[in-house]
Amino acid sequence: MFTKISDIDRLFGTMNLLQRKLDNLYGDYERPSGYRWELESAAPRTNLYEHGDNFEIRAEVPGLEKDDLNVKIQGNYLEISGERKSDAPEGYKTHKTERGIGFFSRSFTLPADVDSTKVEATLKNGVLYLTLPKHEAAKPKKISIS
Amino acid sequence: MDKAQEIAKQEEKSVEKTREMYEATPAVDIYENEDEILLHADMPGVVKEDISVDIDNGTLSISGVRKLETEGAATYEEFSDVEYVRSFSVPQTIDVDRVEAELKEGVLRLHLPKSEAAKPRQIEIKTT
Repeated sequence: MFTKISDIDRLFGTMNLLQRKLDNLYGDYERPSGYRWELESAAPRTNLYEHGDNFEIRAEVPGLEKDDLNVKIQGNYLEISGERKSDAPEGYKTHKTERGIGFFSRSFTLPADVDSTKVEATLKNGVLYLTLPKHEAAKPKKISIS
Repeated sequence: MDKAQEIAKQEEKSVEKTREMYEATPAVDIYENEDEILLHADMPGVVKEDISVDIDNGTLSISGVRKLETEGAATYEEFSDVEYVRSFSVPQTIDVDRVEAELKEGVLRLHLPKSEAAKPRQIEIKTT
């Protein structure tokens, strides 16, 4: 009746799999837009990526045109705001409105200062892509050991 | 004891899955007038080629897959690859041949025209 370490390992592996499945199950309740009423009209969902010398921010902003969005940068403070207008056609009866409308604003404090003169922003397929190059002082530098 | 060992062994045989795609319900607005039903669905980041719209036997299903091109790990992620799926039952009076779909700024707009026969008609009362 000796239990091998590898068997115990495999048992824990199975438990991890179960844990992950359960995480995914509850994760779904937080992610889909249908369940996130407050956040839907309050602020767009955003991802932050860091690639060496740049930050990249992506925000879900469906139904918004360039003119409806404002992006402000100061040092390491970024603010994305805008207005989502209703595209309800005139004279139609409304059965269901789930897409929030109105003003929204969301601000971030980035991990490092940004060079605001070199920021690029594109709006594609309802997703806002921001490329924010880090300030010279904040860029990773290679230190050579003498 | 044997059952526990069996469960542990099962894990080995199963092929490791790459990250599964989340399924999400897109937010929709539905409007109707005499001639047609309009359906606007939010699907940010989805391109035309990854959308499918099916009407079958009174059920409309829309699905759109979004894949984000990302290099490496994200510092902070609130949205990722997702499949937007939703179905609706539509009245039999929709003219399936004339359905139109448009994708703009991440919003899918469907026009479902009602067939002529279903439009409300005023019946004239003749007096003799």
